[in-house]
Amino acid sequence: MRALGAFLLGTIVVLLLRSTALTPFAARGIVVDVLAFATVFWALRYGAVWGSTFGFVVGLAADLDATHWMGRHALILSLLGYAIGRLARTLVRESGRAQLVLIGLAVAIHQAWIFPFELGGFDHIGSGWLYLLRRVVVAAAATAPIGALVLIVARRLSGRSVFGHALVPPG
Amino acid sequence: MGGFLPPAERRSSALVALYVATSLLLLAAGERLPQVTLRGVGAAIFAPLDRIIMAADRVFASWRENRELHQRVTALELENTHLRVLADENRQLREQLALPGYQIPTLQPAEVLALTGEPHPASAVLSAGAAQGVHEGDAVVTSDGLVGRIGEVYPSLSRVVLLTDPNAAVGCEVESTGVLGVLRFSASPHPRLVLTMVPFADTVKVGQRLLTSGLSRRYPRGLPVGRVVRLGTAERGLTQEIEIAPAARLTRLRYVFVIPGPGGRLPGGEP
Repeated sequence: MRALGAFLLGTIVVLLLRSTALTPFAARGIVVDVLAFATVFWALRYGAVWGSTFGFVVGLAADLDATHWMGRHALILSLLGYAIGRLARTLVRESGRAQLVLIGLAVAIHQAWIFPFELGGFDHIGSGWLYLLRRVVVAAAATAPIGALVLIVARRLSGRSVFGHALVPPG
Repeated sequence: MGGFLPPAERRSSALVALYVATSLLLLAAGERLPQVTLRGVGAAIFAPLDRIIMAADRVFASWRENRELHQRVTALELENTHLRVLADENRQLREQLALPGYQIPTLQPAEVLALTGEPHPASAVLSAGAAQGVHEGDAVVTSDGLVGRIGEVYPSLSRVVLLTDPNAAVGCEVESTGVLGVLRFSASPHPRLVLTMVPFADTVKVGQRLLTSGLSRRYPRGLPVGRVVRLGTAERGLTQEIEIAPAARLTRLRYVFVIPGPGGRLPGGEP
């Protein structure tokens, strides 16, 4: 019950952040990809099942919030949640570098996948590849350090590990 | 294949396969789904939370805005006095020429609860809906200019399709010269508003203002849309492609006004 409550709260907080506080940054071309970050966090902490479920739910909610292409966020975020959840058992999850790389990768994959839909289809990538590259790099460069910093602060504040050791299965 | 995996992993693999299949189904089904209803439910759930989050931000912003607005009100009152004199003169002249009179549009104020779409917002949720007299197709403006049009209406909320939506198209004219074109959003090679379908024979200059033409019947005539910032040629080289800076600050919307009735109760608007 507590896990479900945390799940719902996490989903709501992520979606609210995305549609309110982070909008001005996105408008200036700096996408802080809170959806990808939250999915990485959930997958690292709770494993592949919860990671993919969180990714799917939060992605579906983001899809509902948009006007076209329903299912695009849900697809990639559920896959990312699953992949990172599986990886979580082989990584030192408390390592700042591992978190930085994972968040950066997840953001890059998420942004690279959703961008062609905004262009109107994969046929138009040719003319917008430079913008795609810039957007992916900027989003990863902005989100990864912020995400890693948030995790460090959370660890400091709570006084214990956020994810636990690699030998202990997530969740 | 699943037999090689432990039960827990089989379960997680099956679950993710279900999510992937559902997502692909949604992508394939596309517009055939009752998305308006689904989005309406989502907007109704999130609207109270959005209001709470935005409240703190707005309290801070309102202090600064209040000072600016006082200055602006004073300036506008002076301008208004002058315009009243001109309006009387204009009305008398139009009567003498037997031209139809102007109508002042009624404006329904609304608060912007959320902007959606990254990196550029493509839609916004408003605090006014069917109960406040908002209808699908109504034009939405700020004091600076056109924002978009109402795409979906819920009982007490509505959703604006912004000018930056990839499917939005606005019939426009260049102020003073009357050059016509269609304003669209283009995400490639970088996000921008572009005035398309402008023949090479028409002369357009950087800095000129763009207004709605009223010819599309979706927007009233004469609403400020933006300003010309760059001139170019369309991909196929047959027409001009003119980059436009929007008049309204689409990324920093707080309060907007809904103009009831598509096509205009503004001067010269199509019925």
